[in-house]
Amino acid sequence: MKLFKGKEKKGFIIGIDGVPYSLLTTYIKNDIMPNLKKILNDGLAFHQMNASIPDISSVSWTSFNTGVNPGEHGIYGFTDLKPDSYSLYFPNSKDIQAPPFWEILGKTNQKTSPLCQDYCNKISHPCRSIIFNVPHTYPASPMNGILVSGFVAIDLKKATFPESAYAYLHSIDYLIDVEAEKAKEDKAAFMKSLFECFEIRKKAISHFLAEESWDLFFACITETDRLHHFFFDATMDKENIYHESFLRFYREVDQFIKYLYEQYRKRCPEKGFFMILSDHGFAPVKKEVYINRFLEEKGFLVLKDRGNFYERIEPHTKAFNLDPCRIYVHGEDAYPRGTVKKEEKTALLEEIKKSLRGLRGENGDEIIDKIYEKEEIYHGPHTRMAPDLVCLPRDGYDLKGSLEKKEVFGDNIFKGMHTWHDAFCILPENINFLKKPSVESLTEHILQYFTQ
Amino acid sequence: MDHLTRLENKSIYIIREAYYQFKEIAMLWSVGKDSTTLLWLCRKAFFGHIPFPIIHIDTGYKFPEMYQFRDERAKEWNLNLLIGKNEEKLKEGMGPNQGSKLDCCNELKTNALKMVIKKLNLKAILLGIRRDEHGIRAKERYFSPRDSQFKWDYENQPAELWDQYQSTVEEEEHFRIHPLLHFTEFDIWDYVKREKLPIVPLYFSKNGKRFRSIGCVTCCSPIDSEAKNIEEIVEEIRISKTSERSGRAQDKENIYTMQKLRALGYM
Amino acid sequence: MGEEERALPIVIVGHVDHGKSTLIGRLLYDTDCLPADKYSEIQKSSEMLGRIVEFAFVMDCLEEERSRGITIDTTQTFFKTSKRRYVIIDAPGHKEFLKNMITGSSQAEAALLIIDSFEGVRDQTKRHAYILGMLGLKQVCVLLNKIDLVNYSQDKFLELKAEITDFLNKLNVHPNFILPISAIHGDNVANPSKKISWFDGPTVLQALDTFKELKVEEKPLRLPIQDSYTIDGKKILVGRIEAGHVRKGESVYLLPGRKKVEVKNIEKFLENDVAIANFEESIGIRLKGRHRVKRGQILTADLTSTITNRIKANIFWMDPMGYRTGDALLFRCVTQEAPCRIEKIYRRFDPASMEFTEENASSIRSAEVADILIRLDEKVVVDPFNEIPEMGRFVLEKDGRPVAGGIIL
Repeated sequence: MKLFKGKEKKGFIIGIDGVPYSLLTTYIKNDIMPNLKKILNDGLAFHQMNASIPDISSVSWTSFNTGVNPGEHGIYGFTDLKPDSYSLYFPNSKDIQAPPFWEILGKTNQKTSPLCQDYCNKISHPCRSIIFNVPHTYPASPMNGILVSGFVAIDLKKATFPESAYAYLHSIDYLIDVEAEKAKEDKAAFMKSLFECFEIRKKAISHFLAEESWDLFFACITETDRLHHFFFDATMDKENIYHESFLRFYREVDQFIKYLYEQYRKRCPEKGFFMILSDHGFAPVKKEVYINRFLEEKGFLVLKDRGNFYERIEPHTKAFNLDPCRIYVHGEDAYPRGTVKKEEKTALLEEIKKSLRGLRGENGDEIIDKIYEKEEIYHGPHTRMAPDLVCLPRDGYDLKGSLEKKEVFGDNIFKGMHTWHDAFCILPENINFLKKPSVESLTEHILQYFTQ
Repeated sequence: MDHLTRLENKSIYIIREAYYQFKEIAMLWSVGKDSTTLLWLCRKAFFGHIPFPIIHIDTGYKFPEMYQFRDERAKEWNLNLLIGKNEEKLKEGMGPNQGSKLDCCNELKTNALKMVIKKLNLKAILLGIRRDEHGIRAKERYFSPRDSQFKWDYENQPAELWDQYQSTVEEEEHFRIHPLLHFTEFDIWDYVKREKLPIVPLYFSKNGKRFRSIGCVTCCSPIDSEAKNIEEIVEEIRISKTSERSGRAQDKENIYTMQKLRALGYM
Repeated sequence: MGEEERALPIVIVGHVDHGKSTLIGRLLYDTDCLPADKYSEIQKSSEMLGRIVEFAFVMDCLEEERSRGITIDTTQTFFKTSKRRYVIIDAPGHKEFLKNMITGSSQAEAALLIIDSFEGVRDQTKRHAYILGMLGLKQVCVLLNKIDLVNYSQDKFLELKAEITDFLNKLNVHPNFILPISAIHGDNVANPSKKISWFDGPTVLQALDTFKELKVEEKPLRLPIQDSYTIDGKKILVGRIEAGHVRKGESVYLLPGRKKVEVKNIEKFLENDVAIANFEESIGIRLKGRHRVKRGQILTADLTSTITNRIKANIFWMDPMGYRTGDALLFRCVTQEAPCRIEKIYRRFDPASMEFTEENASSIRSAEVADILIRLDEKVVVDPFNEIPEMGRFVLEKDGRPVAGGIIL
């Protein structure tokens, strides 16, 4: 059996969930993040980037992890309906129909994709990867290296591979995530818990970084997303009681990035492949917009009172919405009680689009920014299960999929919402983009690096 | 010693040990087959005179057959039956259609139990959980240890106790004791058969359907089955590919996932 | 399901990364003991990836089974050969393993000690081996796993075998077999392998089939009193028979007082006229006449027990904080509890480093073993471990948590 030789190539990726390009730019400029500033001068370039559509973490990270669009990987949101039914389920890593880059590089992929096919034959030595806290990788599948799943992961044991990694994490009382449920009761305590969780995260990352051999290290920090959901109004406003804590958090992130970069450079003195990215941006929230209520008021959605979630859909329903804004036509060929005929679909979609464009906020603001039909943005064998329409809102209006609301607009405790256009990536400056990069377009560069 | 007798003796030992260690103890009875088995073992352990209360947490939505069964047994076995009910919330109209099922379970079950524990100043409770029910966590102990981070593991409650939905985690200071840990689903049915234990008739097929687990009428659905007695049930389970817990364990994960998503504004 | 046939309980120990999980998967797979619905999954994936990844799947499946709460439970993992059934008692970590072994809640009758041939013996290997020896587990099979990583070399195997035999002997462990295997490839686990054609010993399954079930020997009665109930005006003593049996009407001794008493009745719910109760039964006893009986006393058939407040023992210190002579501890053996101190530490050493660290020591470090003399505040009733194990093993507690386990010499 061939003995595995150490490779000279080493890749390092840091994910910081939900950090906007615009905020980062400001913080770099204002010296809140001096270390990141310094690193950027070390042969790296800083780009604004588009997230996935829809712009939620499960879809965006999966698009990055697999390097393909949802039409290829099959994940369109945190929730979906089982085929030919109204049963809601939560797609997990087993439902992803394309392999992540670490499986391709480690030669342990059980699924394939066009990207995979382009590169799998070019890999001479399998890569050993450490994949840490990356969202939407739960449950953990066996791979070449170590995998610790990130959000949404319920059972730490199921979230780790191999068993020795679990043993370590268990011994340090590792937390997969903060308890966001607590934010409602006590914001100050929740802010504190963010720092505490970050500490444990840093500890664990540092441990694996130092103790393990790896060719590719990919770690995600997810606390930033939680911070933004609840405290995004504190980013600039000096009067806000959480402003100092908010800045402090970013300073800690800055310090940690410095530490990681130094460790990386120790193992990889030459250029290597270093990347930092976020999966989407954030913006302050003005209002929540309940699309299902809107569809009800316009007569597209008819619900009965009893039943769980989408089981309430009556036959007269023409269309319904899944979180955040994924609209599905209630076709007779796709749903048990569906009544919309194939030939009626085009006209129906036009009607819905017109209604959506007419949706206005209190000051007469336009709510919807972009509306796409599925074929415009999704390509691949899993486009059939894709939503018929996907909407992106203007910043400030957070589109939601709740079926329980009695009004179209509402308020909530959240201070920040996701944005599609304002994610960022930092990567070697020799990589050029002809147009604004999107999250799934980065992956190929990782594969290229390891196969050159 | 045969297999079932060995299991039985082990349970009796644990029950007696628990009673010795915690005099303020009670047994949680969901009226389902597992906790009824536990109740029977308690009767054996104390020669028919169970020296502590048997608590039934009544959400008010249980099947009428369960109430009937409960009251018959309480009388027949001379039980010190205590019913825990969140009267206040029920008066307000709490139910699974009022808000979420999670909230309903939280109020009508968790909080109801909390109130009972407080009222009786309980230090420990006996529960009918089997080890093969909940592999999700690391090895469960017969006596759950108390330490400074002790949390009441609501997710480790037996199926019949919590139906399909769970409520949020609560902080409590009491021990949980699981004398049935070494029984499997099959062992329970075998034991029920051997001892000729009465169980709620809902478990048996009626009009082509029976219940695999019983709880609140509003949240329990029957499965297709023709199994009219225990032998047939055992055979059916033996043949079927899934087990009582498989659906429910996934349900449990789904519940947590839903909670986590909700907390961040998704869903 | 109600099968009367008793499974031989075995424990698989060794360093956590040396392939225990893969071995379990292999044992189940090769003996056709994997649940049926897992086969198709494994087969499909295997086709795509080649056999080597199969085991990641088996273990993945087992993990899933466990977490989904379906029938497989690793503390009750069964497999079978044509001869008999086996149940694997899981030892997740050596602390639990030791606690289980000491408290008797999972009693293995044979052990597989797994060692990575490429990595060799690790500290945990030595500690586990030591515990096996200490607890008198005589039926031990050493598995030199991952033999593929050393190219199936006979020389390497013999070299390792010699090294291991040497250190095991020092720990007073004399394995019945030392076998070369590759759990991941399936060499010599259930089936012999062409790649190890130079080896003329048995496969793992064949080795296990040579082991004997521990006979429940006839021992004198030992019934520790667990509690005392008053039911319908009658006083009933309850407890579990840890050794021997008891008959209605029999004369027995109540220790430590050495009082002679008569068993008036054996009480079992809904059973009248119980003539005899046996080993492992939890029963009630009514004695003739009035006696002051409380928990911690022992009913015995004879006076062969040791009644003492000084005990010579061999212990394994589990707690991260070590021990200093004079520290107060609580001694627990069956239902007996007594405050105590370790009066003398004759010898202490770390089985992992195999040196006799210190004689006449004044402290014991975590993960060390020691030969000690315990002095208790009151007399207790015990037996030497190699005579009546249930009465010869104990736990030492500090501040309510177990810090050491031991056996009485």
